[in-house]
Amino acid sequence: MQEAYIVAGYRTAVGKSKKGGFRFTRPDDLGAVVINHLVNSIPNFDPNLIDGIICGNAIPEAEQGMQIGRMLVLRSGLPVTVAGVTVNRYCASGLEAIAMATAKIRSGMGECIIAGGVESMSLIPMTGWKTALNYEIAKSAADHYSSMGLTAEAVAKEYNVSRADQDEFSYHSHMKALAAIEAGKFKSQIVPVTVEEVYVENNKRKTRSFVVDTDEGPRKGTTVEVLGKLKPVFAAGGSVTAGNSSQTSDGAAFVMVVSERLVKEHNLTPIARLVNSAVTGVEPRIMGIGPAAAVPKVLKQAGMSLNDIEMVELNEAFASQSLAVIRQLGLDPAIVNPNGGAIALGHPLGCTGCKLTVQIINEMKLQNKKKGIVTACVGGGQGIAAIIEVL
Amino acid sequence: MEKTNKNRAIKKVAVLGAGVMGAGIALHFAGVGCEVLLLDMVPTDLKEEDKNNRKARNQIVEKLFNFALKSKPSPYYNKAVIERVTLGNFDDDMPKIKDVDWIVEVVVERLDIKKLIYEKVEKYRTPGTLITSNTSGIPIHLLNEGRSDDFKKDFCGTHFFNPPRYLKLLEVIPTIDTDPAVVDFIMHYGDKILGKQTVLCKDTPAFIANRVGVYSMAKIFQLTTELGLKIEEVDKLTGPIIGRPKTGTFKLSDLVGNDTGTKVMIGIKDSCPNDEQAHAFEVPKYVNFLLENKFFGNKTKKGYYEKTKDASGKTVINALRLDTLTYEPVGEVNFPSLTAAKSKENLADKINAFVGQDDKGAQLVKRSLAGLFAYVSNRVPEISDNLYSVDDALKAGFAWEIGPFEYWDIVGIQKGIELAQAEGLEVSDWVKELAKNNNPTFYKSENNARKYYNQASKSYETIPGTESFILLDTLRGNAPVYKNSGGILHDLGDGVLNLEFTSKMNSLGGDVLEAIQKSIDIAENGYRGLVIGNEAPNFSVGANLAMIFMLASDQEFDELDMAVRQFQKTTMRARYSSIPVVSAPHGMTLGGGCELTMHSDAAVTSAETYIGLVEVGVGLIPAGGGTKELTQRLSDSFFAGDVQIPKLQEVFLNIAMAKVATSAADAFDKGYFLKSRDRVVMNDKRLIAEAKAEVLRLSEEGYTQPAHRNDITVMGRTGLGTLLVGIDSFKRGNYISEYDAKIAEKIAYVVCGGDLSQESKVSEQYILDLEREAFLSLCGEKKTLERIQAMLKTGKPLRN
Repeated sequence: MQEAYIVAGYRTAVGKSKKGGFRFTRPDDLGAVVINHLVNSIPNFDPNLIDGIICGNAIPEAEQGMQIGRMLVLRSGLPVTVAGVTVNRYCASGLEAIAMATAKIRSGMGECIIAGGVESMSLIPMTGWKTALNYEIAKSAADHYSSMGLTAEAVAKEYNVSRADQDEFSYHSHMKALAAIEAGKFKSQIVPVTVEEVYVENNKRKTRSFVVDTDEGPRKGTTVEVLGKLKPVFAAGGSVTAGNSSQTSDGAAFVMVVSERLVKEHNLTPIARLVNSAVTGVEPRIMGIGPAAAVPKVLKQAGMSLNDIEMVELNEAFASQSLAVIRQLGLDPAIVNPNGGAIALGHPLGCTGCKLTVQIINEMKLQNKKKGIVTACVGGGQGIAAIIEVL
Repeated sequence: MEKTNKNRAIKKVAVLGAGVMGAGIALHFAGVGCEVLLLDMVPTDLKEEDKNNRKARNQIVEKLFNFALKSKPSPYYNKAVIERVTLGNFDDDMPKIKDVDWIVEVVVERLDIKKLIYEKVEKYRTPGTLITSNTSGIPIHLLNEGRSDDFKKDFCGTHFFNPPRYLKLLEVIPTIDTDPAVVDFIMHYGDKILGKQTVLCKDTPAFIANRVGVYSMAKIFQLTTELGLKIEEVDKLTGPIIGRPKTGTFKLSDLVGNDTGTKVMIGIKDSCPNDEQAHAFEVPKYVNFLLENKFFGNKTKKGYYEKTKDASGKTVINALRLDTLTYEPVGEVNFPSLTAAKSKENLADKINAFVGQDDKGAQLVKRSLAGLFAYVSNRVPEISDNLYSVDDALKAGFAWEIGPFEYWDIVGIQKGIELAQAEGLEVSDWVKELAKNNNPTFYKSENNARKYYNQASKSYETIPGTESFILLDTLRGNAPVYKNSGGILHDLGDGVLNLEFTSKMNSLGGDVLEAIQKSIDIAENGYRGLVIGNEAPNFSVGANLAMIFMLASDQEFDELDMAVRQFQKTTMRARYSSIPVVSAPHGMTLGGGCELTMHSDAAVTSAETYIGLVEVGVGLIPAGGGTKELTQRLSDSFFAGDVQIPKLQEVFLNIAMAKVATSAADAFDKGYFLKSRDRVVMNDKRLIAEAKAEVLRLSEEGYTQPAHRNDITVMGRTGLGTLLVGIDSFKRGNYISEYDAKIAEKIAYVVCGGDLSQESKVSEQYILDLEREAFLSLCGEKKTLERIQAMLKTGKPLRN
């Protein structure tokens, strides 16, 4: 077995779905920008070395259909010999792609794989265009198809997470994200995207272009009071609001994973490695608790303990599940999401896992820390966790 | 192109002034399909940097318009209406009025400001363009002073009532300079296109409706003090019991605004010093108390009434005591005359019940009518040459069921004169002269036409403009073609019949179903077609619940099965007959009323039709073909490659959430009406005539009975699985009860055609059987019985 290393990783800024800078940008176009930047960022790198792309995507249809993994290869202008595959583990897709790439390389099934994910929530609705659910499941266990919001309500209830705590948590997510942007922390990991727009004004075709290089989600004016006034959106008398849920977003993120051999032969500089990753199932009704099961599992697989972990990127699908997970695992809130999470920065489903990996690598490097965990809950009742080591 | 009376057509309208009335008028014009330019002021306090910012310059009009959009009831038919309104401001956008066909001025009621606006208008207005003012108080002839001849000939008053979408009155007030062709055009356009009761007025103070309506209010104010009545007593006595809105008198004043109402009262008092009852317009002391304390009514949450909470948090309504000027909880209202009136079925008997008694309640009604009779008799010909204009104005503007002269006909002209004399008042000479006739009346029906007494010619004449109406009242003298306890079948002439329901609230019981079937049988034998239409406030509130409740609580399932089959047979008969059947829905068209409408060959609908399948409210599902029909329409909407599911969800939600359309336009959006066969008529008075025309058109085109359908695509378990999960989510989100979910599952089952393994084509009968089975099974549920019982008792749905 040979080790697999991450040698580079980038992401786009995360756009607000439907009204943000990427509202009409196709996910294959968006992904191609990151992939090109990634390949070009490595000096004198020969793209013929790339075996393939593994692209995470949560709703692989319409603009994200036609097997977007392969389309990304062609759209990026990579050699035709580079293969492409799409993987779907909902919100864990981007992280799963990195885990798969790592496993493949370790087992000798490849030397260089671009892994990550892309999602346009502007263009594709969350349940896809045609939701056709299994009648037998619908009759006997309809909650297996629980909407994400209802799972957040269920977690809040079963793990006693109050509305006030959720709003407080969300407020801090925004504040941390704003501080990170202010400090320019994301600049080096974000690939600026120039968006070309063709539109009609006064019955005339017009064009313009603009650059998207900053995460659009964080809200400057928000306060705990403002958040406290929002109405529950998933259940009458519930506690989950638009303000304490993750934002729907558009974005793309990719890393390059290469073999130990290639690192040596081509004199590449590894920046990090995925030490281990684990996925486990939980009751779909409370899918948000998934990380509480996945984190112990991955630590056990790696022969490590929480004490070894210096930073956590926990995907903030909802404040209720984030808090329940933090409390269940006994995580130190100070090391969780140092730059805010999806409640402020957005959650482009299939992209998120890789985006968080890119973020944790950069932040750990900055803080001179070595080991961290990226973890997320997954629709349908799963949790994923991966240990990332910065080199 | 030059605008002339010959080529006049209204495509674009400019409305100047975006206040409550301006925005409402703009939305009504947009509602009938016009493009509308709505303008208001540029803010006077713009910052230097905003002076060229269009958004900042338009902020007043945008704020006013958005405020209007939120008002209840909704001032627009559906969202598409809003798109037809463009906003702008007087400074930048006035040049655009050169392209419009009608300019409606609705700016603040100040002569100097209106004149300034007209000066601007004159700069850009294309000659021949209509220009009208919505003033309610300024004499029209003062407004056009100093304007060009062309302006003057196209200028008149057009007085809409608030809210413009709903209140039917449009007063048209020409000046001596107004081109008669312009007046004719607006009278006709207002009636046919805007759907209004147009009333031609003279340029006299407050025109007709406010002059008489405010007089009536003032007289009741006076009598209240004189008789020492409580305001809740007065409101009870001057509400629906005598054919007036349920706000009565004082609650209406609270609704209008006591400040506004008083302003109009003082305005009339000042400009009509010669009215023989001018003293009636004296503002009572208690009104001054309200004004001094800014208790303006609903808008200040306190007026004649106030809402408070008692110690237990229960809402208590207090009423002002006029003698002590303190608020006390409203009390019971009891008068022998009121009890007597309540026991009567029709309005005429109710009125005469008061006239025949002498308690304080009766005195209020009698004496206020006496004053009203004297007042209106002396206003003709001062404010109108024709008595019917006074009645039309009060009915359409103040929502009176009948007008002053119609009240008088009920009481009897001679008796009315005596009542007035007892009040120390004299009626006009022309009425005294009329009273000498044998059996004198102000109106009579003759040769299927409604005629009024023309005081100038001293003869009965047809009301102009009504030639193209069919009013069922005028047919009542004829022998009905068929009649039972549920309906009357009239002959409308030209081979067309009309079935009018006569049940309470036009609910559909066994007798009505029989009348429908019988009417179709008769029409098939020697007639060209059938209209199902009536002139009641509502087309039909749905099936007769009392009957269903009785059968269901006795668990008479065979009888229930028969009853539902009978219902289905009736609606299907409306579709499957050899003659065209056209329904004329208006107002509430619910449950069975909706099912019948959807099954007729075409609906000629009022713009104000509130149609929907509301059965879940009483724990049932639509089983008179309604669920079947929406399933069939869903199937007809599918196209190759269609993902279908979103459309399925929409149809399912319409039924499961008992969605009632808020207008005919909304009903087209929701699928209760179809663009291919149904159409809207703006003026309800034309509804039956237009439905008749539709029958004739269908018949003329060569009507063929439709073939039975065996090709309805249902989605089976593919659709059902998705709907069941959706229902489960609603339940777990606490949006619906367990029992709501149970009913919803039944609806899902029917609209998917059951749990079929694959998408399949099925017949109408198959789905009718499914909906009937679901209906019957729900009739066996205790919670359904509770829901029906609650509806029968309280008129409100129970969520259990």
